[in-house]
Amino acid sequence: MSSVWLPCGDYHQDYTQDQGWWQTKVIKGKMLLLLAIIFVGIPLLAPEYWVGVATMVGYTAMGALGVQLLIGYAGLITLGHSAFIAVGAYTSTLLVLQFPWPGIISDWGLAYPVSIVVGAIVAGLWSVLFGLPSAKVKGFYLILTTMAAQFITVDFLLTQYVSQIGGRGQAFSLPPGTIKIGPWVIDSEVKIYYLMAVLLTLMVMVLANLLRSKVGRAWVAIRDNDIAAEALGINIVWYKLLAFFVAGFMGGIAGAFWVSNTAALSPEHFPWFWALWLVGVILIGGVGSIHGAIFGSIFMVVIMEILQLAVIPLSEYYPKLLVDFAYIKDMAFGLAICAFLIYEPNGLAYRWWQVKNYFNLWPFSY
Amino acid sequence: MELFMMTLITGILVGGIYALVALGWVLIYKCSGVLNLAMGELTLIGAYVTLTFYQMGLPFILAVLCTLLVGIILGFLTERVFLDKLIGEPILAVIMVTVGISFFLKGLVEFLWGTDTRVFTPPVFAIKPIEIGFLKVSPVYLWSFILAIILLIIFVAFFKYTRWGLSMQATADDETAALSLGVSARFVYAAAWAIAFMSAGVGGALLGNINGINISVGHLGLLVLPAVVLGGLNSVPGAIVGGIIIGVLQNFAGSYLDQYFPGGVKEIVPFVFMAAFLLFKPYGLWGWERIERV
Repeated sequence: MSSVWLPCGDYHQDYTQDQGWWQTKVIKGKMLLLLAIIFVGIPLLAPEYWVGVATMVGYTAMGALGVQLLIGYAGLITLGHSAFIAVGAYTSTLLVLQFPWPGIISDWGLAYPVSIVVGAIVAGLWSVLFGLPSAKVKGFYLILTTMAAQFITVDFLLTQYVSQIGGRGQAFSLPPGTIKIGPWVIDSEVKIYYLMAVLLTLMVMVLANLLRSKVGRAWVAIRDNDIAAEALGINIVWYKLLAFFVAGFMGGIAGAFWVSNTAALSPEHFPWFWALWLVGVILIGGVGSIHGAIFGSIFMVVIMEILQLAVIPLSEYYPKLLVDFAYIKDMAFGLAICAFLIYEPNGLAYRWWQVKNYFNLWPFSY
Repeated sequence: MELFMMTLITGILVGGIYALVALGWVLIYKCSGVLNLAMGELTLIGAYVTLTFYQMGLPFILAVLCTLLVGIILGFLTERVFLDKLIGEPILAVIMVTVGISFFLKGLVEFLWGTDTRVFTPPVFAIKPIEIGFLKVSPVYLWSFILAIILLIIFVAFFKYTRWGLSMQATADDETAALSLGVSARFVYAAAWAIAFMSAGVGGALLGNINGINISVGHLGLLVLPAVVLGGLNSVPGAIVGGIIIGVLQNFAGSYLDQYFPGGVKEIVPFVFMAAFLLFKPYGLWGWERIERV
């Protein structure tokens, strides 16, 4: 079913046209412009600080996509996603640093890309492990198991055991030059941004196509009423575990990317706060759509930046503000979540959809 | 053998404090159906408020009483500002609002009081352990337990014998029926949150006596979740028993398992236990089984 508003009198004449992602010339133009801005405009034209901010938006969006999949599309509420991001990050780092790569791979600079994929798979499998209770429990109890996943993984396993591998301790930084993809060493803001843009675009493409397929429909059926879905023949345990795997996979990619962003690693980069932040991002952006994850990320990161810019002039009068800025950030985050949930429960994506429909349907308002 | 008995006794004593905090949590869930993830931060606020009153010169008991008053006010305010508008919204929205409240409170505490560890000076309880038979018990634990039990008895008596308490029980049992009898649901919700703030506040003050007051008191407050899972989300006696069992479990893990796991296993054993317990008996020992109708 084509969800695109076509001009009057325009019809698609075969199935491939009807199912296309970009169905009209206007949409093609819009999307190519967006891709031009993302891949050419921002890295080459924006000042370096804002490229860093954009990278942060991308990282948040990568994490938020996994959470959006679980909460918005499969109906499995998860509060432990940062654990799977951490698993991806640590696996990828330890592979890059410890694994004896055969010469051909390290010469061609493929160690890091391969480690991203392996890290993502390991994170996906780890996520399935903690998703197993979803076969039996739902709702609040699943929240508790995913929370337990976060504490067990990051606070215990990573801090105590994994950090012992290679003798580096729990917080370490990577020597410069270890993170390379092919011939390029990822060390400048612009290169990190390109890596993020490529990874995020791939993730969005894969997720969007997955959600359009049988798997995505099964997930939505499970979200809406899982007993009815089972009565219709959907194997809910399989699809729930698949949702956990894909979400963990995406979290793993996000974690492996994070390593290149900071070139250092510590369990403190993946606190429970970050998992809650991602759920907050989803709720602010709008549950149940990929747009929601991205809008939420943009909103949260931009708001934090604006807050930072606003605090600087005020801190002349109240110098305590600058020192305690992290706490103000916490308070602002809490209030933002509460305000959005009370006044805008459908999130930013809903407003976007309203505006889009207004322009698509103009001059008819119905 | 002596280590076993001492661990057991200390566990029961600390568990009394967890039971007090768990009581507040169960109350909110029973009366309004809200799953409150902000319990850690409620404990934190209570601890710091007591510390402030104590440092202003009030004796400890009076500081605790003032904390109870502040808890009532904060409970009413929180319920009125944040939760009134969310009646009827899906469960994720309500849980995330409590998460938002928890971040707000945590940021507020860090902003107002800083992140250094504070202690009650002069120390509230004597340092020298009291000898009971062959056991040595630190007065901190003993008096905290006694205070927690006293408060528990007061709260349970409040439910059973006062009119307000009975209206809370009625709302917890069947809200529509209670509404039709003239019980004000908003008052009941506000009272539930007020009691939760009070109990968590006192719990935080007592825990702060044991370990020193800083942000980690909030993590201890989060231990209420394994306690209520164990006891059953709906059940007040379950919360009390669950709290005590989690206290005992934590202390046993600390004493016996710490040597095998470097860095300590005390903080996460309750969560591991909770995760395992959820697989076998998700509704807890006394919880009501939720029958899902399609």
